[in-house]
Amino acid sequence: MAVLHGWRAARVTPLGELHTPPRMTAVLLRLTVQVVLVASLWRGLYAHTGTTAGLTRDQAVTYAVLAVLASRLRELDQYAGRDTVLQHMHFGTIVYWYLRPLPPRRYYALRALGEQLYGLAWALFGYAVCLAAGVVAPPESAATAGVFLLSMLLGQWVLYYVMLLLDQMCFFTLRNNSAMLILIFAQNLMSGVYAPLWFFPDWFITLSGVLPFQATLNVPLSIYVGRIQLSDAGAQLAVQAAWVLALALVTRQVWRRAARRVISQGG
Amino acid sequence: MSLKALRIVWRVSLLNIRASMEYRTEFLLNIAIGAIWQMSVIVFATVLLARFTGMGGWDSSDVLLIPAIRMLAHGLFVLLLGRVHFIGHQVQEGRIDIYLLRPMPVHRQVQLAYFPTNAIGDLTVAAGLMAGALGRSTLDWSAGRVSYLIAAVIGGMLLEAALFTGVAAACLRYPAADYWGRWLEELLGTFGSYPLNVLPKAVGGFLTFALPLAFVAYFPAAVLTGHDTAVPYWLAAASPLLGLVAYLGARGMWRWALGHYTGVNG
Repeated sequence: MAVLHGWRAARVTPLGELHTPPRMTAVLLRLTVQVVLVASLWRGLYAHTGTTAGLTRDQAVTYAVLAVLASRLRELDQYAGRDTVLQHMHFGTIVYWYLRPLPPRRYYALRALGEQLYGLAWALFGYAVCLAAGVVAPPESAATAGVFLLSMLLGQWVLYYVMLLLDQMCFFTLRNNSAMLILIFAQNLMSGVYAPLWFFPDWFITLSGVLPFQATLNVPLSIYVGRIQLSDAGAQLAVQAAWVLALALVTRQVWRRAARRVISQGG
Repeated sequence: MSLKALRIVWRVSLLNIRASMEYRTEFLLNIAIGAIWQMSVIVFATVLLARFTGMGGWDSSDVLLIPAIRMLAHGLFVLLLGRVHFIGHQVQEGRIDIYLLRPMPVHRQVQLAYFPTNAIGDLTVAAGLMAGALGRSTLDWSAGRVSYLIAAVIGGMLLEAALFTGVAAACLRYPAADYWGRWLEELLGTFGSYPLNVLPKAVGGFLTFALPLAFVAYFPAAVLTGHDTAVPYWLAAASPLLGLVAYLGARGMWRWALGHYTGVNG
C-alpha cells in the first residue's frame, strides 16, 4: 500500500507534463537549441587555443553539454500548476500537506524523486543523441563511468537537499523571492552550469570548495571528462557524502520547526 | 500620456516604493539580486575574456562595450518596462480581469503593479561597467559616437522590451508561455555579451534573424568600434531604429492579444 501511495505521489508532476504535450515540445526545442548553442560556443572559443585551465576542447564541450543536460533533472515547471512551496504558502494551501495521511517530509521527497526520474529520462535521451552525434565524448573507461554514476547520484542527492532548503525558507519568511533567486543563481554559478568551474579564478574555486553547490554538478562532470583523476575521486566522493549527511540532518530539523509555523488562512 | 496621467504614474510609483520598503530585508535583497545578476554576466564575460584573449578578433577593451551596452539596456528595461515578465502570474491570479475594469490602460497598470527594486542593483553595476568600458576604450568619443551609444542603449532596451512584450502577449492566451520568457532571459544573459562571430555562421544567423539578439548590443558595439559583422553595415547601424520598430510592433501584438483575452474563467 505504501508503495502505491509513493508511486501516486511521485508521478504527480511528470503526469502534469505528459498531459501537456506543448510543454514537452517546448522542453525538446529548448534542450536542442541550448545544446547546439553551448557546443558551438565552446568550440568557437577553442578555435585558436589549445588546452586551457587543464581542459582540452573536447573536455570543455563535453562538460558544458552535460551540464545543460543535467540541468534538466530538476527543471519542471511547478509554477504553472501553482505547486511551488512559495505559492502554497502564499495561497494558504500548504495546510493540506499537513492534513494528509502522508507526512509532508515524505510527500516532498516522493514528489522530488518523481521529478528527478522524469528529468533523468530527458537527460538520458539527450545524452544518447549527443553521444551518437559525437557532440560529447564517452567516458575514458568503465571505471570512470562507474565512479561518475556514483558521484552523479550523490550530486543529485545534494541538489535535492539544497532545493529543499530553499523551499523550507518559505516557511519562515513572508517575502523571499529575492533570497530564492540569489540562492538559485549561486547554485547555477557555483555548480558549473554557466561555465566549467575550472575557468574561474583560483579564489573562486577555493570559495566553491567550501560550499555544497560544486558537489552537485562540478564534481561528477569533472570525473566524467577526466579533469578529476580517478585516484583523486575518492576524496571528492567523501566530500559529497559528507554534504548529503550534513544537509539531511539540517533539513530534518528544519522540517520540525517548519511544522510549528504552519497556520491555515485565518489563523 | 497626458500630464495628469504622468502625475498618477509618479504618485503610484512613489507608493510602490514605500510598499516595497515594508519588508526591509527583502528590499535590500532585491537590490542585491539585480547587482548579483549583472555581476554574473561580468564574471562570465571576464572569465572568457581572460582565458580566450582576442575573442573573435576583438580587443578586450572593445569586447567590454558589448556587455556594457547590453547590461545598461537591460537595467533600463527592468526599471521602465520589466513587469511584462510577470504577466503569466497575473493572468493566473485573475489580476488582468481587475485591470480591465479600471480606467487606466492595462499595460500601464501592469507596469505599475510594483516597484522593480532590483533595477537599482542592475543599473548601478551596469553604469559601473559602462564607465569602466569607456575608461579603457581607445576610441575617440566624439559627439556623434556618444549620441549613437545613447541611441544604442535605448534601442537595446526597446528590443528587449519587444521580445518580452511578445511573450507577454502570448501569456494572455497561454500563461505557461512564461517558460519561453525565462529561456529568452537566459539566452540574452549567456549569448548577448560577446562577439557572435565566435559562433558558426548558422548559429550566428539564428541569433540574428530568428532571435534578434545580435541587434541588442553586438551590432551597435561593432559599429562603434569599426568591426565587420555578418550583416551589411547599414543593417547593423540601424539596430537602435530596429529596436523602436520592434517595440511598436510588439505593442500592436499586445493590443491584439488583449482584445482576444478571455480570462482564466472563460
